[in-house]
Amino acid sequence: MAIPILKQADVLIASLQADPTDNDLIQLRDELADRIGRLRSIGVVIDVSALDVMDSFATRTLRGIAQTTRLRGADTVIVGIQPDVAFAMVQLGLTLDGIVTALDLEEGCARLRKYADDEASRGS
Amino acid sequence: MLDQQSLPSSFQFSLRDADIERRKIIVDLAAEDISRITALKDVIAQEGDRYTDDFFRYLRDLGEAPALFGRRDAFAEAKRRKREHLTALTNGVYDQAYVEQRAALALLYSRYGLETRAFLGAFHHLLRALGGDIMKCFPDDPNGAFQRFMSLKKVVFFDIGIIADVLMSERERTISQQQDAIRELSTPVLQLRDGLLILPIIGMIDSQRAKQLTDDLLRAIRANRARMVVMDITGVAAVDSKVANHLIQTVAAARLMGSTVIITGLSADVAQALVALGVDLGKITTTADLQGGLEEAERLLGYRVVRLAEAPGRLSA
Amino acid sequence: MAADATHVVIAHDGDIVEARRKGRELAQRIGFVGSDLTIIATAISEIARNIVVYAVHGEISLSEADYGGRRGIVVVARDEGPGIPDIERAMRDGYSTGNSLGLGLPGARRLMDDFEIMSTVGQGTTVTMRKWKR
Repeated sequence: MAIPILKQADVLIASLQADPTDNDLIQLRDELADRIGRLRSIGVVIDVSALDVMDSFATRTLRGIAQTTRLRGADTVIVGIQPDVAFAMVQLGLTLDGIVTALDLEEGCARLRKYADDEASRGS
Repeated sequence: MLDQQSLPSSFQFSLRDADIERRKIIVDLAAEDISRITALKDVIAQEGDRYTDDFFRYLRDLGEAPALFGRRDAFAEAKRRKREHLTALTNGVYDQAYVEQRAALALLYSRYGLETRAFLGAFHHLLRALGGDIMKCFPDDPNGAFQRFMSLKKVVFFDIGIIADVLMSERERTISQQQDAIRELSTPVLQLRDGLLILPIIGMIDSQRAKQLTDDLLRAIRANRARMVVMDITGVAAVDSKVANHLIQTVAAARLMGSTVIITGLSADVAQALVALGVDLGKITTTADLQGGLEEAERLLGYRVVRLAEAPGRLSA
Repeated sequence: MAADATHVVIAHDGDIVEARRKGRELAQRIGFVGSDLTIIATAISEIARNIVVYAVHGEISLSEADYGGRRGIVVVARDEGPGIPDIERAMRDGYSTGNSLGLGLPGARRLMDDFEIMSTVGQGTTVTMRKWKR
């Protein structure tokens, strides 16, 4: 079951459905890597609000996506980690350090745009 | 008749058959005891009312459970059930129904504040009366009478075991409910302005409360779409490394949700002590006082507080 | 010992999802609520993933536990994989960012109330974990 990727202006939005398989996540990583380059997006917002469990594999994969995105000159924001999931992740020791998180899609897109603006204003 | 609403319908003290058998073994209740007990049926039945009145008079004279004697319907209900107990005592059938009958009366006692020690005193008083009457019934066979009494005592202690357990578990339930209520009161999450929550924490934080706090805060962050939280721990009684680690975990979980937590009220002394204990405070933002924390939070949110020029005084000389 | 246990064969990553779904269902039936459900599902996910990654094939049993009036859930993960040569090291927190060798064991232990592990090199590993309803 492929994970849908939407394009909203210069931002790509991927909404994970409940219980993605390992393959789904790997496919997502490759798709995003491809599209960011082609569509010149400023970043990706990954919505995980439908996930009721975030284990070490999911976390590693998301981290991998963020790194790949960075290499293509774009940013990643993970949004929608649920309270129970956040608590379990902390207990498990999964920190998502270095990855930007936000509450929801709206916040996530706003954050991406802010980063892009900051970078632009820093000048070329 | 006591209205059904007074007895919480969620209350259930039911024992599995295995538990009942175990309790009988514990008091050493055997078949020959039961035949001796059922032989006492008439003796007890005759004086049932007297025993019941005596039981409650004993408690009343001691000044125990005034609430029970103050409510006429409750008192009548208690007497009725006690009377039923005495009848069932010598029936020889000690099953689920028997146990539930005792549990229901015990619940009533608990509801009206009868202490376990008072109950035991009155029950002992009843036992003495029973003993005396049994001996009188068999004047030519004191050994036989004593044997019958000893058999009856086994069931009496079976009863005491049930009633005492019910009283204790009710007490525990009340304490637990009170603790929950206190916890509830001391975790107010307040929305100061759009995107900013304040969580003032007061009192002691144990593991269970820490979990509750984290739960409440994380849900409040989601509900209020809060990007910033100021958690004030000025009122926290003792900040040791355990409490500090709970706080750090809460901050980490909030950050995963996209919210930043500033901890205020952590004095420099306590911070130093925690660092000395090996707690890594590097991951959390702290300020010593609430005001500083709020200002920092507002700044990070993009708010700017501007003071208006003073308006001309309306009260002029 | 386990009355009415649910068994889930673990052979590929799809089974990980199955195991934690069944785990969550059982936990709900036992009466766990809220974040405990997520915690149990997450611990199961980590242990199941270990089987897939290191042992290739194994089994997870889920059942209810009763102890002194308290109810809880028991998760037993069994495999006939290579076994863990140094359990103590495996149970130490190896979780640094991006550590792909990090086993989910210390994390699962933090999440659950009881945690036992038995492993013999060349024979396999059995992890038993329990969580109790408050």
